[in-house]
Amino acid sequence: MVDPKSKKYSSPSKSANNGFKEFLYNTKDGTVMGRTGSSWGKIILFYIIFYAGLASFFCLNFYIFYLTLNMDEPKFQLDESLIGTNPGLGFRPMPDPDRSPDSTLIWFRRNVPSDYLFWSKQLEVFVDETDTGKKDAGSVNLQACTLDNDKRATSITACQVKVDNLEYCNKNNAFGFSRGEPCILIKLNKIYGWVPEPYGFDERDRFSEAQLRDDLDKEIREKHMPVDLKYHILNETRGLDPNTKNFDSHRRMLLSTVWINCDGENVADTENIGQINYYPFRGIAGYYFPFLKQQGYQSPFILVELKNPMPGVVINVECKAFARNVKPDRLARLATTHFEILID
Amino acid sequence: MGCIVQKCQKPQRDLNELKGELELDDHKISLEELCQRYDTDLENGLKADAVATNRAKYGPNALTPPPRTPEWVKLLLNLFGGFAGLLWVGGILCFIAYGVEIASKGNQAENDNLWLGIVLVVVVCLSGIFSYFQEAKSNSIMESFKNLVPQFATAIRDGETVTVHAEELTLGDVVLVKFGDRVPADIRVLEASQFKVDNSSLTGESEPQSRGPEMTHENPLETKNLAFFSTNAVEGTCKGVVVRIGDNTVMGRIAGLASGLTTGQTPIGAEIERFIHIITGVAVFLGVTFGILALALGYVWIDAVVFVIGIIVANVPEGLLATVTVALSLTAKRMAQKNCLVKNLEAVETLGSTSTICSDKTGTLTQNRMTVAHMWYNLKVVEADTTENQSGAAYDVTNEGFKALCRCATLCSRAEFKGGQESIPILQREVNGDASEAALLKCMEIVTHDIKGIRANNKKVCEVPFNSTNKYQVSIHELENDNRNLLVMKGAAERILDRCSTIFVDGSEKNMDAAMKSAFEKAYMDLGGLGERVLGFCDMVLPADKYPKGYKFNNEDVNFPITGLRFVGLMSMIDPPRAAVPDAVSKCRSAGIKVIMVTGDHPITAKAIARNVGIISPENSTVEEIAERTGLPVEQVDPAEAKAAVIHGGQLKDMSPDDIDIILNTHSEIVFARTSPQQKLIIVEGCQRNGAIVAVTGDGVNDSPALKKADIGVAMGIAGSDVSKQAADMILLDDNFASIVVGVEEGRLIFDNLKKSIAYTLTSNIPEISPFLMFIVASIPLPLGTITILCIDLGTDMIPAISLAYERPESDIMKRKPRNSKRDKLVNERLISMAYGQIGMMQAVAGFFSYFVIMAENGFLPKNLFGIREDWDNKVKSVQDHWGQEWTFKQRKHLEYACQTAFFVAIVVVQWADLIISKTRKNSIFQQGMTNWTLNFGLVFETCLAAFLCYTPYINAGLKMIPLMSQWWFLAIPFSLFIWVYDETRRLLLRSYPPGGWVEQETYY
Repeated sequence: MVDPKSKKYSSPSKSANNGFKEFLYNTKDGTVMGRTGSSWGKIILFYIIFYAGLASFFCLNFYIFYLTLNMDEPKFQLDESLIGTNPGLGFRPMPDPDRSPDSTLIWFRRNVPSDYLFWSKQLEVFVDETDTGKKDAGSVNLQACTLDNDKRATSITACQVKVDNLEYCNKNNAFGFSRGEPCILIKLNKIYGWVPEPYGFDERDRFSEAQLRDDLDKEIREKHMPVDLKYHILNETRGLDPNTKNFDSHRRMLLSTVWINCDGENVADTENIGQINYYPFRGIAGYYFPFLKQQGYQSPFILVELKNPMPGVVINVECKAFARNVKPDRLARLATTHFEILID
Repeated sequence: MGCIVQKCQKPQRDLNELKGELELDDHKISLEELCQRYDTDLENGLKADAVATNRAKYGPNALTPPPRTPEWVKLLLNLFGGFAGLLWVGGILCFIAYGVEIASKGNQAENDNLWLGIVLVVVVCLSGIFSYFQEAKSNSIMESFKNLVPQFATAIRDGETVTVHAEELTLGDVVLVKFGDRVPADIRVLEASQFKVDNSSLTGESEPQSRGPEMTHENPLETKNLAFFSTNAVEGTCKGVVVRIGDNTVMGRIAGLASGLTTGQTPIGAEIERFIHIITGVAVFLGVTFGILALALGYVWIDAVVFVIGIIVANVPEGLLATVTVALSLTAKRMAQKNCLVKNLEAVETLGSTSTICSDKTGTLTQNRMTVAHMWYNLKVVEADTTENQSGAAYDVTNEGFKALCRCATLCSRAEFKGGQESIPILQREVNGDASEAALLKCMEIVTHDIKGIRANNKKVCEVPFNSTNKYQVSIHELENDNRNLLVMKGAAERILDRCSTIFVDGSEKNMDAAMKSAFEKAYMDLGGLGERVLGFCDMVLPADKYPKGYKFNNEDVNFPITGLRFVGLMSMIDPPRAAVPDAVSKCRSAGIKVIMVTGDHPITAKAIARNVGIISPENSTVEEIAERTGLPVEQVDPAEAKAAVIHGGQLKDMSPDDIDIILNTHSEIVFARTSPQQKLIIVEGCQRNGAIVAVTGDGVNDSPALKKADIGVAMGIAGSDVSKQAADMILLDDNFASIVVGVEEGRLIFDNLKKSIAYTLTSNIPEISPFLMFIVASIPLPLGTITILCIDLGTDMIPAISLAYERPESDIMKRKPRNSKRDKLVNERLISMAYGQIGMMQAVAGFFSYFVIMAENGFLPKNLFGIREDWDNKVKSVQDHWGQEWTFKQRKHLEYACQTAFFVAIVVVQWADLIISKTRKNSIFQQGMTNWTLNFGLVFETCLAAFLCYTPYINAGLKMIPLMSQWWFLAIPFSLFIWVYDETRRLLLRSYPPGGWVEQETYY
């Protein structure tokens, strides 16, 4: 039988393992972290080539895709698009985004210029830019459109946004901020190709007052349009002179307005907000639409004056836009905008 | 995975002491000394006060249950082990972020973080509970020992016979045991009548052993005057003194050994733990780095926290551990169909990494059935049929010499078949009688088909049974169709030869001269050398004049001739190897697995079987054989020359662990003979010390420590005791060694396939992490949301990853060496380099391509996107796109979710390619084929699931997905093709360059 104690048996050699230090740099094999210099060189070179190749493949694919893209016109428009057909509503002035990114509180002290100038300057810049924009673009693309002059936005031309009829809301009185009667600018977001649909026209595109009333009542039911806006629209419509020569197009244009209504969000806010005036009028005229990326296109806006807001309390203000194809949606924040005012 | 955290149980006793041989002298000392030692009286038993003091001193006669980990601790370990810790951190961070948001914004706070936190906690809990139940079928070894403990015992105390709980017995008690009882403790027998015990559960001896008062052997296990705790008394009665109780009994020691052994981690458990460490390390590193980077870039800390959550969620392959478990249980199911029942899931793979198998001989390698292997008559050795299904050599049954031998063997036997077995094949019938007689009986029945009839026609008139002094058995029969009587004798070959004066050769009787004797000697040596048990047969037709029919033969006082008989032949018997075993052993050999035989049998028999089945291959020889061949003394032979070795248990006893190491290293083909259960354990430990992954087979209670200690213990389903089955990780339902080989094959396959599955799953981590990194570094809108990541990890990736478990092997996995557990890792740097560095990067690029395309199509060109994040995520502002359209916050988010959905779909699309390339590590898909239908289903499934998630109303809203335009599904297709072509090319290079090439070194995982 076998005798392991006999010297003939050779002991198995036991190799030692030096662990981490040797892993970092192994003097015997000249390896750093398990690889020799040339091994590192090869793998690094491989990865450089590999990633260069991968990047090229990406670029090639993106280039091919890019060729299919039309830079002048969105690929997906209106119902096809992800932006949809319900435009957003925005307000100016806005709080400093660096300090509080998601804040919508307009808070200032009357008679303290360092406070209110922050806000009024924003409006001043905005209005001035619109003014200079008009001059820069010249008369080629921008027209002076009115409700009754048949001038409309076309694929090349757009309408001037008039800044001279803002009455009380002007830079000379710091848009009312100095006196605690601030004007807030409300603007509709641009959506390529979007036009508002007028109230009061039936399927065959014929106007009737009954249809208008129906439409407005429906708005009250379904979109919570305020009743006074209904009477405002009816009054405006009735106030047109049927004897003027372009009465029909005038009426159609008037009814194509995107109507704006601002009010306190809650009952208390409604009480505190006081009287509200809209300049130049209570909506954004239909002739500004559609936006088709015309040269020098100006974003239309109106100014909402809070005539006598309650000082010292936060007032939640909500502005909504109304048209047949505009539906205020508080949750999605479409066709509606919200801000708070606190005047000290 | 349940077994990742293994708590070491503190052994109650010194295990080394338990591993030692049993030291006991109670059977050697005189009865007086015994009485003195235990302060008892052999007639009257212990006195009441002595009972009390002894009980106080030695404790109850019961086995100490091992300390158990409480169930709730196990549950907690599962809930916080593995990736769970990381996910808990992520979940808690979510709640913190939500809390902070609540505190700062009140009702306006977004619920996103709350939902994510809840989802993470649910994921962690579900997977924790899942693995807890996988583990719940934990071993209950001690419980099965408990069943062996006898309930009541009859003792003599104070001269009175009382019935007590077995637990109340103590040292020195005099107990009475009768048949049907279990022996209540280790006892020294004082008086016995026909007392027999069944020691099979302890020693493996299947025959009942008779017990009596006389000491017959130094070894306590072999002496006749000791009966052991929990063995069964099958016959007779006895009276004895209790000499060992409870944990100190022989059975108690084995129980203590089996339950006190700490089983190491399974190889796959270790691999998974290592993998978890790597992934956790990467996650923590990235999380911390980018958290700090975010803070440095000026993000508020709550944003930084959200980034960290995203990075953690993206890094952790949430579904992977469940995938591994499912893959393992699928394999376990498949193995069960092939007669390998796996108890511990992780053991499925262990068999695949096994490098050494320590196999039992009896029953595993052999049929566990003595069978006549050779016959010698007419001076020639004739081979009998030893196969299980009677397909072996046929021999001439009409030969005169054979007929004589056959008659002798048929008549000179007491064995007979048990009733009612006519329909069962002869070899499988049960027999009354010892193993050799049963072998003869079966052999003869096959030839004659009617032993019963022959015996009836040749009525037995006298018989001298076998005893150990005579070593022969004689019977006398009335001959059929003759008026004479026939004397037949069988027994130890040399004894029989001594009684013969003639020999029957070729139909004529010849004188037993020297030539005949030397022919006999040669045959006898040859057959003995084959490890066979040789019996001699002789007969004599008694002359009718002296011994007429009706003659009164006297078996006490022999009145008939028992010398000068006619020698008819030899028959040799062996427990033959199973038919499938030689093939299985050679498969093991080509698979690089060392097969060691460990048996209690004699070295010669063991060696013969080892040679027979190929455990010792024909070209190799042992030291002794070399010595014999070269004529050198054994001491002068270089052991290194002898590849094979037969080690006797007696030698093993004197060896130090170092000596054992040397033996194991020097010889590649080893047979351990005459080994005790403790030695089996020592052998297993020796192999493990040398880095081997050891599989051990065993069936008796005595094997349970070795089974427990082995990396994978394999118990026998038919012959195995309950205790051995409890201790084992796997049960061979057909007791067949060949089934182990099937298991090895499955184990290796699942290791390969798990690798593929992990490579597949890990790849998608890069397209999951990179969006967050880009979000932080390049300030682009977030390209992939956290919930979406979970949709991939726990949704679309699951079935495909599992389906890789069904992949068929790429080449003959039984032709390569077992994996080296130190070098061949489940997850190695090459796998990471491929999954993360190459394929993952391509996937990420595909995702970003979809993202940038959709953004550009909606007016946000890449150049506008970089740095846009602050405006983009401002809830109040509108952002203008390239065409001047003004997007409100919600509209932007809608676009962002569309991009994220497209990114998600892009990952699904590139995962198609990844799944197909993961099918093979080396071969081309054209060689491998697409016949894995589970995988093909997986491809369809992930696509349908992705479509379902993004198009089903409400569900998509909940997951922040947007119904995609159909063309956006195709954006990643070029990248998917690119991945496939890239990897096909890589594998083409892998195959076309010789092994060791650069591509193999860097990419063959």
